[in-house]
Amino acid sequence: MVCVIASAGATDDAGRQVFLKDATPSCAICHTLAEAGATGKIGPSLDELKPDAPRVVQAVKAGIGAMPPYPQLSESQIQAIASYVARASGGAAK
Amino acid sequence: MNNHPDLARRRLLATGSGALAVAGLTGVSRVTAQTPQTAPAAAASQKPLPPYIAWKDADALIVHTPTTVETKRTALGTGAITPAERLYIRNNIAAPDVSIVANRDAWQLSVEGVRQPRTLSVAELKTLGLETVAMVLQCSGNGRGYFPSKPNGTKWQVGAAGNLIWSGVPLRAVVESLGGPTAGMRFITGTGGEAVPAGIDPKTVIVERSVPITALGDALLAWEMNGAPVPHAHGGPLRLIVPGYSGVNHIKYIKRLALTRDETDAAIQATRYRLAPLGTKENPSQPAVWEMDPKSWINYPAPDVGPVKRGWVQIHGVAMGGTQAPRKVDVSLDGGTTWREASFIGPNMGRYAWRPFVLQADLKPGAYMMASRVTDSQGRVQVETTPDNTGGYLNSGWRAHAFTVNVA
Repeated sequence: MVCVIASAGATDDAGRQVFLKDATPSCAICHTLAEAGATGKIGPSLDELKPDAPRVVQAVKAGIGAMPPYPQLSESQIQAIASYVARASGGAAK
Repeated sequence: MNNHPDLARRRLLATGSGALAVAGLTGVSRVTAQTPQTAPAAAASQKPLPPYIAWKDADALIVHTPTTVETKRTALGTGAITPAERLYIRNNIAAPDVSIVANRDAWQLSVEGVRQPRTLSVAELKTLGLETVAMVLQCSGNGRGYFPSKPNGTKWQVGAAGNLIWSGVPLRAVVESLGGPTAGMRFITGTGGEAVPAGIDPKTVIVERSVPITALGDALLAWEMNGAPVPHAHGGPLRLIVPGYSGVNHIKYIKRLALTRDETDAAIQATRYRLAPLGTKENPSQPAVWEMDPKSWINYPAPDVGPVKRGWVQIHGVAMGGTQAPRKVDVSLDGGTTWREASFIGPNMGRYAWRPFVLQADLKPGAYMMASRVTDSQGRVQVETTPDNTGGYLNSGWRAHAFTVNVA
């Protein structure tokens, strides 16, 4: 096997998987994120908020405002969703 | 049949301690020309207003996020009342659709925990009583940005607050008209009209707060703010107003008002908005974020304004007692070593309002550490330091709100 450095695309797939499926309840219930096809309305639109990765990590680990923490997610899942949301929302480019 | 014989007379007397006549409260001053906002907010202020509050005064506001918008210190003014166009925004979750204000009088409120529980429309509520109160609406996290521990959440400075005039029916009149409280009720529990999507436990996000039933004395169900229908962005068609309490307790688009034996177990009551010692998680055993404390701050000169010109300077700000009227304000120009009594400007609007104040000072060139400290009518003095707490709530300390002004 050839060791492949994870491309942004592969990372996005993993992060999207956590965003839509692994996180319970799904992030998509509350948040809008066009890249993921998520149209949740009760929480902030991530397309508008454009969080960077550390902000996503903080929110997922500790909760923020009405959003509860997600203690069931592993460190690698959290890193995947954070880099994905930051990139997909445009927050990584800020 | 359910009306107590003295109810009508009571309405006429408007006995609520915060009631006042609003005649003459006009002419809101503007001071926006003086300074930009402070440095930490400079980047955030570049964001445009979100569409739902496009009607607000963008130059007066700092957009932290689409649901957290702060009034610039320099836009708080000296007119005593905060115009709606400048008032801060803080929403825990997305508001209901704006269509709920298309027919305001048709909005329905379920009243429970009374002898004859039922649902009333705003039109019906308007027949039960009328009172007006001036009240500081202050986000529970206002001043969070000054806590040394840097708690999570919006780093509000001073502008998550405004002084507003609310009109509506006294809650006690509504309760009396429905036969009074059922026995043993200890709390007033209000539920907002936000829709919670399927797939999440409503208790985790629902906006439902309980306050002690003693608040029944002055609480209103308000449909007017500053003489106009309560804007949708501020809780219209109907908002619970609990004078003296912090922002989260004034339930927007209220759809259910219940007198309850216990506090709600919704997360926003049980594990949020608790005064938890630093390093501990918020839980129901800790004090709830309810009543506000005496607090004041200086709005001009603002921090980070370039050097102020030597000579006479009108140092002004606002002072509130929280639950009692402010009696006096002292201003220090040397970081709290010495204090001089400032003068109130504008009308006294009661125990729940703030009052602008001014200290005229002839300043020579130099650096001045400016602070203000209010004393309320009961002799309570604004604390020097509010201890850090996990959520970063209710920061009222005068030292944290002090800043240096350079005079050249």
